[in-house]
Amino acid sequence: MDEMLMEFLAESAEQIEAASAQIVEFERNPEDAALISSIFRLVHTIKGTCGFLGLERLQRLTHHAESLIGCLREGATATPDVVSAILTAVDQVKVLLGDLEETGQEPDGDDSEMIALLERQVAICQGGEAADAAASAEAPLVAEAEPEPVVDEVVEPEPEPEPEPVAAAPEEWPAEPAAEVVTRPATQESLDALVASLRAAKLDVRREQAAAAKAEPAKAPEPAPTAPAAKGASDAAHPAAAKAGESGEGRAKGADTIRINLNTLERIMNLVSELVLTRNQLIELTRHKEDETLKSPLQRLSTMTTDLQDAVMRARMQPVERVFSNLPRMIRDLANDLNKKINLVTEGADTELDRQLIDLIRDPLTHLVRNCADHGIETPEERLRVGKPAAGTVRVSAAHEAGQITIEIADDGRGLDINKIKKKAIQLGVASAQQLERMSDEEIYRFIFAAGFSTAEKVTNVSGRGVGMDVVRENIQAIGGSVALTSTPGKGAKFALKIPLTLAIAPALIVEASGQRFALPQHSVVEAVGLNGGEHKIELVQGSKILQLREAVLPIGSLAELLHLAPPENRTAEAEQLAVIMRVGAHAFGITVDAVVDVQEIVVKPMGGSLSHLSSFSGHTILGDGSVVLILDPNGVCQALGLEQSREGSAAHVESGSLRVGDRTRLVYFRAGTGVDKVLPLSNIARIETVSSEKIEFSNGMMLMQHQGRLMPIVSAAPDVMVKEGDNTVFVVSPDGEPFGLLIDAIVDIIEEKLDVEIAGDQPGIVGAAEINGKVVELLDIAHFIDIVRPQAERPKDRKSRLLLIDDAAFFRDMLASTLQAHGFEVVKAGTGAQGVSAVGHSGPFDAALIDVELPDVAGYELAERLREAGAAFPMIALAPYATREIQRAAAAAGMAGAVGKFQRNQLLDLIRACIEQQNDMQDEDLFAGAAA
Amino acid sequence: MSYEPSKVLRDGLQTAGNALDGYFSIKVAGDTFGLPVTQVQTIFRIGSVTPAPGGPADIVGLVNLRGKIVTAVSLRRRLGLEPEAGGPGSLAIGIEHHKEAFALLVDEVGDVLTLTPDNAIAPPPHIGRQRAKFASGYNRVGGQILPLLNVDAVFDFSDDK
Repeated sequence: MDEMLMEFLAESAEQIEAASAQIVEFERNPEDAALISSIFRLVHTIKGTCGFLGLERLQRLTHHAESLIGCLREGATATPDVVSAILTAVDQVKVLLGDLEETGQEPDGDDSEMIALLERQVAICQGGEAADAAASAEAPLVAEAEPEPVVDEVVEPEPEPEPEPVAAAPEEWPAEPAAEVVTRPATQESLDALVASLRAAKLDVRREQAAAAKAEPAKAPEPAPTAPAAKGASDAAHPAAAKAGESGEGRAKGADTIRINLNTLERIMNLVSELVLTRNQLIELTRHKEDETLKSPLQRLSTMTTDLQDAVMRARMQPVERVFSNLPRMIRDLANDLNKKINLVTEGADTELDRQLIDLIRDPLTHLVRNCADHGIETPEERLRVGKPAAGTVRVSAAHEAGQITIEIADDGRGLDINKIKKKAIQLGVASAQQLERMSDEEIYRFIFAAGFSTAEKVTNVSGRGVGMDVVRENIQAIGGSVALTSTPGKGAKFALKIPLTLAIAPALIVEASGQRFALPQHSVVEAVGLNGGEHKIELVQGSKILQLREAVLPIGSLAELLHLAPPENRTAEAEQLAVIMRVGAHAFGITVDAVVDVQEIVVKPMGGSLSHLSSFSGHTILGDGSVVLILDPNGVCQALGLEQSREGSAAHVESGSLRVGDRTRLVYFRAGTGVDKVLPLSNIARIETVSSEKIEFSNGMMLMQHQGRLMPIVSAAPDVMVKEGDNTVFVVSPDGEPFGLLIDAIVDIIEEKLDVEIAGDQPGIVGAAEINGKVVELLDIAHFIDIVRPQAERPKDRKSRLLLIDDAAFFRDMLASTLQAHGFEVVKAGTGAQGVSAVGHSGPFDAALIDVELPDVAGYELAERLREAGAAFPMIALAPYATREIQRAAAAAGMAGAVGKFQRNQLLDLIRACIEQQNDMQDEDLFAGAAA
Repeated sequence: MSYEPSKVLRDGLQTAGNALDGYFSIKVAGDTFGLPVTQVQTIFRIGSVTPAPGGPADIVGLVNLRGKIVTAVSLRRRLGLEPEAGGPGSLAIGIEHHKEAFALLVDEVGDVLTLTPDNAIAPPPHIGRQRAKFASGYNRVGGQILPLLNVDAVFDFSDDK
């Protein structure tokens, strides 16, 4: 296609998009004169260019649209009819542009109907405004017209004589029939129209210059002066330099950005990717060579490649505004269709995201916004009845959060109807009434992401065909993102999308299964668990593999079996030593692999057509050593495991179900020395290591071993436990973050039992004896061993500090609780704000509370205030996926002690300890003060 | 991975420069096919092959051709012949088809032949349908019948999925 035409199309698409957004905006703010001028200019520019390119149909249509916009600018009222007429015309322009882009030609046909509609509206506007038109024409004439024309004329020397007469008849463009100009009433030819058209002319002139210079140099009436020269001339010749400078700046700004063909950018990106790979290969090759002459340039190459990669990635970034910009129009149309009043608030439109992702989130985002407007926001009458303002608000906000983009779509409507969802869930057979009974609200809400789930009573053409939410979730997950949902009855619902910044480069685990390596995107990996220690075992339950991990029961499968990999000849049954735990949407599951070989930043490349149908893989990449690996698609693996979407609630249910075991504890049942068997709560043990006797050294009367790169002390679990020749079993215990080993003889079993210590022990290192399954066992006292290992260490407090943990996500709740227990805290868990409040009432007192900021029933901050009002005096800590500054501030405002990211274990532990210490100090002071008084 | 442009290729490309109807004669298990020189991007020996589990059986896997990932297809398997070992060092022809880069594993790449329309003959009627679909035409060259490889059919796996 003609290069100029391409440029025109790209530019016009933006202009028309901007115009339609601004028209909607104008409808709401009819006072905004700057806005309507801007719309006028945009449409006018398109019209002008169409004329220049000989696109008559488009030109005629835009001309009439412009007339109507002109009326608005003159002060005519922006009635919904007028705005709708303009919007339909804008739509038609889009259609025509689309056709033009496809075929390279303006489509046949005419738009007489639409033009008639536009003319009718013009007539109506003028009928009503004729009287004040003359009066209103005065004001802009004085206010705006003065300096501009002069400057523009000078800065932009006219290459052709035509634009000059524009002063008298701004509508006269080369291809336009003169008759149309005459039909416009003379009153409209106010000077500001002239200004606008001159501005437009300026643009067009520039394009003409360029075109003329490029295509037919001979035709240019005078040599096109270069921009700086023109500016210099104007500065010298005219003292009105201020304005000239301004418009000069405007042009300089234009010159700062250039339009790049997407393919060019893609090619650069690909080349950079290749460069990264080559760099990695070079590094791999030279890793074992001590060649100094090579090292330093290679180092430089490496940094520069990284910088280059970064720069190119940045070039691909675009503001999410590109998606946000069509929302106002959509909301307006929806509001009209549904007879609702809806305000749209967008925030963070300048947040940047990879171009590719912008396109991929467009549909899901649009769908969610539609949903909010359609299902969420009530009719004005209904809203007034429940005491809300008649106009509902849909809020769409985007923000950067630690390498991710969060996009939230919230409405202040009625919230999700939990009873309807329950009914539908039973009707669809995805859950039974009894199951629903036991589920948290959050788990029930998540059903709306199941396929075929729509609770809308009547299907509107807006949303609610039962396809949608499942597709939304799938689409978001496909790009490595997640959707979370919160809803408060009567207050509204909120969807939170978390999206990676880019798809092109991602950190990945390189895993090995059956001798073949695969890349596993890190975003879906939760943890890797060793299976050889005996702590975690894979069991067969009715023919399916299950892994019990802490309190969770996870489906697990062998990667080699899922992919039907042929086992290597020397393969043994125990080869798969590692379970990688992944999370996709509501599903947590594990795959067993032989090993995690490496963690690398991989350049994701899509699969070729002949293999793109393989759902287990999302692409392929070349590793540093030059080998090709396939990238596993977590969604595909999840499906291959047989986890279907319809079982949405059940995975979460299993997790929450195991919570209710409550007072039963998972215990490691083992032998240590002579005497009865011993037990330890599994939560006290960080790892179980098998250590060869040669690896255990003696120093200063203490046993030591290497653990995670450091020397770790080991004590015998009973005085008569000795290091055996060969393999020894050591529990790694880290009650306070400092690990030490506990040498035992052998693990007997791992059991889940209620543990009641009946007889207090008088033996050091034993809490007491208890009866389990008719046998007497002794519970080990970890504190005793801490004293042995670190005699100088601060003695733990007599009483364990008690923490209240309120988090709606069962997974995090369990994970955090085990971490905290391992660090010597007693933890009471709650899944909702309400449960939290009742826990304070029934199981208090607590030393501190950890509150997730996003609970399904109440915001964390609010809950903190509520608890405080209810008399809770303990410090409270806000938990969030990432502790951003906003969250920190909000937490402080709510009187909370601080905010920590859920994954920042060390910070969290530090903060808890600091809080508790401070609390204790304060109590001591209180006592003292009380005594003094 | 090693890339050794064979003498044949160099000569072939030179011939191809002025003869658009030049054909490589490629051999697999005693069968010889003609492959248009214009379709061939490179001839190379493959490095290690990464299998693509679950993919069509005729796809041997993925190989790294100078930093580009290409899909390796066994022509022997495609034609239903005794499969080759397909390991590193196998001879492959780089062909881009529908924007996907392929490496077609063959036994041997022979001379470049120049065919003219007069060489074309009607397809022999008794060739099995499974085999016949991989030939886009037949030529008589120097007293021998040379089927021309139907690249579209070779790289169309829509039936195998």
